[in-house]
Amino acid sequence: MPESWHPVAPADSFEDDAAKVVQIGETRIAVFRLENDFFAVSDVCTHEYALLSEGFCENGKIECPLHQACFDIRTGKALDEPAEVDLPTYPTRIENGVVQLQFDAG
Amino acid sequence: MRTVIVGAGQAGRRTAELLRGLDAEREILLIGEEAEPPYDRPPLSKEILLGEKQPPGLMQRAAGAYAEQRIELLLGCRVTGIDLAARRLDADDGERVPFDTLVLATGARARRLRIPGAEDPRVLTLRSMADARALGARLRPGLRLAVAGAGLIGLEVAASATKLGCLVTVLEAADRVMARCVPEATSALLDGWHREAGVALHLSCPLLSITPGEASLRLSTGLGDIEADLLLVAIGAVPNDELARQAGLPVEDGILVDESGRTSHAQVFAAGEVARIWRPALGQHVRYETWQVAQHQPVAVAHALCGAERPYDEIPWHWTNQYGRNIQLLGAHRAGLEWIARAEGDRQTVIGLDGDARVQGAVLIDNGRDATPLRRLIASGKQMERARLRDGSVALRQLC
Ligand SMILES: Cc1cc2nc3c(=O)[nH]c(=O)nc-3n(C[C@H](O)[C@H](O)[C@H](O)COP(=O)(O)OP(=O)(O)OC[C@H]3O[C@@H](n4cnc5c(N)ncnc54)[C@H](O)[C@@H]3O)c2cc1C
Ligand code: FES
Repeated sequence: MPESWHPVAPADSFEDDAAKVVQIGETRIAVFRLENDFFAVSDVCTHEYALLSEGFCENGKIECPLHQACFDIRTGKALDEPAEVDLPTYPTRIENGVVQLQFDAG
Repeated sequence: MRTVIVGAGQAGRRTAELLRGLDAEREILLIGEEAEPPYDRPPLSKEILLGEKQPPGLMQRAAGAYAEQRIELLLGCRVTGIDLAARRLDADDGERVPFDTLVLATGARARRLRIPGAEDPRVLTLRSMADARALGARLRPGLRLAVAGAGLIGLEVAASATKLGCLVTVLEAADRVMARCVPEATSALLDGWHREAGVALHLSCPLLSITPGEASLRLSTGLGDIEADLLLVAIGAVPNDELARQAGLPVEDGILVDESGRTSHAQVFAAGEVARIWRPALGQHVRYETWQVAQHQPVAVAHALCGAERPYDEIPWHWTNQYGRNIQLLGAHRAGLEWIARAEGDRQTVIGLDGDARVQGAVLIDNGRDATPLRRLIASGKQMERARLRDGSVALRQLC
């Protein structure tokens, strides 16, 4: 059974409206703090190809830097066009002050 | 109720789909001259030339999606006339198509050069998928490609062709690249990228005539002769507004419409790049040649078709990708603005202020995250402090 929890960063190192990015194999995941909860979503826009961690983030939404589609960080939901497909989301937890996310490769 | 949309491009597709979302009942017929179902054009000068068959930005829908949405799609069919009194279209196959409401989403075509030699088959333009395939099939290492026009499409083709190993020369009549839509500093930056990549960029150098030879084309320019194997003419677009003109609708380099996309005839609308849209804040009609207008102005049209007003009121925005860099252009780029640069490493934002220090436009280089705060700053009309704008450590949202 491969270890599926991956460390992201110390919980107290997160800034508002800025993602921490982890790469696991081919997958890039962006992790955000919203109030005192942590949310992990795919870092790659579902429209074309762009890194959402390079986009504008506000009020629990992340906006794609290319064509400005918005996604809900809590649910991964695509909120407006041109994106129509939701972002994959990943569970998070805090262990010894460090945010971890759950991801099973393969 | 039957709505017919002429032009199965981006704006035609968007109008049809948005309309279906608002009205489950009505008949919707989308008629297009091209063989392909609707596609978005930005990849034509980028990924398609580089050999990608299905880049994600091209086809927004699977072929079956139209039937699923009960949008009737008639492809390979050119509409040749509109009879407004009889509410009927004529098509090139002799078909007569009745409508209750009509949307003209006929886009634009590439402007042709009117100089001797321009009819040679080695002189190409780029507007459609068929054009992109024809051009792409001829690009190969060592090919001498000349590009007339250093606008968005000319420069994107130059960048793509250089990447494929072509020897590219760009001829531009103005004294800088993309002079119509970016400030001087951005022209200089783009200029540098192209020269560094090996593009021979000739400014203030109009193409005067083409002498087709057996082996190559001889191009006479303001600065002497150039030999090329292929010439791409990228000198702008001309709106396909003839149908409207022949039907007696007001046309001025584009079909004149109000903020809801309505022409002077209450049952006829125009959507996308063919429309010249009334902008109350500017006190004039403006035509936009952007993905943005084709994507979002149909929202106004679809609502108006259903009797609801959703005026089109967007800050103009478009982008270009060259050499792996993304440049976004927001707002106005008229002369006389003062341009202030903010840089964070390779990311750069250049902000255009008017005489009252209000933000009017911006150029974002690999910095799309600044678009939303800048849109807010432009919309607010707030007077800015130059020192704070320049300071890259002050987030733009804090200035909103
Ligand atoms: C090569 C290229 C690259 C571009 N890159 C960018 C970019 O990077 N960023 C950006 O913001 N914008 C870009 N644009 C601009 C953007 O793609 C256009 O503004 C957009 O396509 C306009 O959409 P439209 O639906 O109004 O027109 P179109 O996409 O032109 O669609 C109109 C359709 O109507 C059809 N038609 C016309 N007349 C008739 C008739 N009589 N009967 C039946 N059908 C008819 C045409 O064949 C066409 O299919 C680019 C454009 C091109 C050509
Ligand atoms: S790539 Fe994200 S909106 Fe287009």
